[in-house]
Amino acid sequence: MNPRKLLFTVAAALALLAAACGGTTSSNSSETGTLTVWLMNGSAPQSVVDGVNADFKAKHPNVTVNVEIQQWSDVTTKLDTAFAGSTPPDVMELGNTLVAKYASAGALANISSKKGSFENSGTWLQSLTDSCTYQGKLYCVPYYAGSRAIIYRTDMFAAAGVQVPTSMDDLLTVGQTLMAKHSSDPQFSALYFPGKYWYAAAPFVWDFGGDIATQSGSTWKGSLNMPQSQQGLTVLNNLVSKLSRADKTGDEAKQDQAFAQGHIAMIIANGWEVGVITDPKSGDPSLKSKLGAFPIPSHNPGQTAPVFLGGSDLGISAKSQHAALAQEWVDLLGGTKFQSQMVTVGGVIPNTTTLVSLSSGLPAVFAAAAKNSRFTPNSPNWANVESANVLQDMLVSIFTGKSSIPAATSTASDKITTILNS
Amino acid sequence: MGVAGDARASAATGRNIEAGPWRSILARRLLPYALIAPAMLVILGVLAYPLGMLLWLSTQRYGLRELIQHQGEFIGLQNFETFRVDPQFRYVVTVSIIFTIVNVGVSMLLSTGIALLLERVSRPIRVLLSAGLVLVWATPSIPAIDLWQWMFDYEFGVVNWLLTRIGVGNYIHHNWFENPIQGFTVITVIVVWGAIPFLTLMLYAGLTQVPRELVEAAEIDGARPWQVFARVSVPILRPVFLVLFSLSTIWDFGVFNQVWVLLNQRPNENYFLISVYSFQESFRVSQYGLGSAAAVVMVAILVVVTFAYVRQTVRLTEEAV
Repeated sequence: MNPRKLLFTVAAALALLAAACGGTTSSNSSETGTLTVWLMNGSAPQSVVDGVNADFKAKHPNVTVNVEIQQWSDVTTKLDTAFAGSTPPDVMELGNTLVAKYASAGALANISSKKGSFENSGTWLQSLTDSCTYQGKLYCVPYYAGSRAIIYRTDMFAAAGVQVPTSMDDLLTVGQTLMAKHSSDPQFSALYFPGKYWYAAAPFVWDFGGDIATQSGSTWKGSLNMPQSQQGLTVLNNLVSKLSRADKTGDEAKQDQAFAQGHIAMIIANGWEVGVITDPKSGDPSLKSKLGAFPIPSHNPGQTAPVFLGGSDLGISAKSQHAALAQEWVDLLGGTKFQSQMVTVGGVIPNTTTLVSLSSGLPAVFAAAAKNSRFTPNSPNWANVESANVLQDMLVSIFTGKSSIPAATSTASDKITTILNS
Repeated sequence: MGVAGDARASAATGRNIEAGPWRSILARRLLPYALIAPAMLVILGVLAYPLGMLLWLSTQRYGLRELIQHQGEFIGLQNFETFRVDPQFRYVVTVSIIFTIVNVGVSMLLSTGIALLLERVSRPIRVLLSAGLVLVWATPSIPAIDLWQWMFDYEFGVVNWLLTRIGVGNYIHHNWFENPIQGFTVITVIVVWGAIPFLTLMLYAGLTQVPRELVEAAEIDGARPWQVFARVSVPILRPVFLVLFSLSTIWDFGVFNQVWVLLNQRPNENYFLISVYSFQESFRVSQYGLGSAAAVVMVAILVVVTFAYVRQTVRLTEEAV
């Protein structure tokens, strides 16, 4: 066979194959239009997005998918504006604490009747499913979860001769040993804790039996001022004052870059932050072999503290003109094939319990930490508590000594009560 | 009957003249309105309509649900009543007013100083200085604030490094925003830095219009330089000063970017100027009615304050005519 003939044969075979593929999905290939998808910065690796789009394109060759990446810092403003318009994005990733707000306002499509058609819907992570559920109806599909643990420098621990701490008291002792070992470095933090980092503060509140707010009937009550919550914050305040030189009024946005500078032994961080720390551009790749992780220890020796289960869900907007297509796209990203890649490439916790075991190495520590996890009050107004910086302001005033723990917690509790019940 | 008859006669002739080419008369009367109509339409579209919407929104309970359904609930003046009893709002208004007074004062003082300097330095230096001022003015606001933010950064900032290096004190890990007074000082520096170019160039342009002979006459009469400035230049520059004062007041009362960008879009309550408060209520907490009401209060305060300026300006122009 000469080369030209070979080429021809291959081309013919490909054409046949394409025709065959087209045949199996011919029912949908006539669909046209543009599907707009909003994903959050840093959520899915580009290869996963490309993969989902390629699979989608194979079924719907005439549909264009526009994936737009949004920033966390101003996403509520953008979402409000988009939902107020007549053509909001068809699919949008929503932080799990934001869903209730948009579901209650009627912005998201009720997909309760379609639940069974989503792959793995029977084994979705409970707390993500809860975040998608408002007044008994399903408004989104769980996307991925993330929990926080402590990332530490194994080389610094070895040099100081300390082991991974097994209790909060132990954490303080280990930290103080590290501080003493690095006393000549005025920038050193054994545990770097920026003042506004309430996701990392919540475990201390929960571990002592405290909570952010409690619900009885339809009324919420802020509970940061209860003795258990105050006890947790007292322990945290002591740790921060002795072990951290982080900005007491700063947030956690730059903690990975700071960690990569080499003056920090421990940070409380999400699993994916390992990637930021070792990124050649923003971090230091040479740290790859020097990083370890362990769950935040409980005050009860040998146990771990409950952590906030963060994560994202995928919603379909109520005004979408392409609801069926949107649902298919969501099913791809939320299904086994791409969720597996989210675990192996992205290092996150997948939306289904059946794939959690895929994580290995450091991500496995974070997945394990997520087993003892909690969620913020599931109220449509919770997003307003976050937006109003209630918890951040409380932490800042405690850490800077501007107000006492009883005073700061009671101010915050009152505000939370007001906002949640408004 | 003479006088009345004359009047009637002239009225009659007048009507005769008008009656002829009435089309052109009508056209002449309507023409100014026709000419001004496009401009009025644009002004109505971009100013009156949004302002009307703002007033209307401020009387509504307008949350996210209402936003999506485009249907608010009328609650009269309840939003304003909320402000009246809210100690935080009182703080916001007080801080905004103090902030405006300080910023307008400092930027006007410095600009006047630099403008006087520009008048006296040699030509090459003047060109260099003006070019520098124009460059500052040409820098887009957000990137400029980002640069300032890096300079005052807690961990990596050059200001902390420099102050420590030159021996002012230990500024390693100094947080400029922990204490609101210090934080507002930094914000004032940035606002004044951004305001100086325009104010200076305007004042310098005004100063060049001060007649040379008046200055010389004053000098011959034995006036000292500051007397020349106070008695000759300032009265002549009064219209310019008035316009610049009112513009600065409007700008500084509405300062938003500097606070918002500098504090990573999450300023704490100490840093709530009225514009930040309004934005927070609207776009962060999705209480668009309350946010609009705050903006209405802001506009009302500005109208009251700038009214004095505007009246003065109008009087001056009338005197000039």
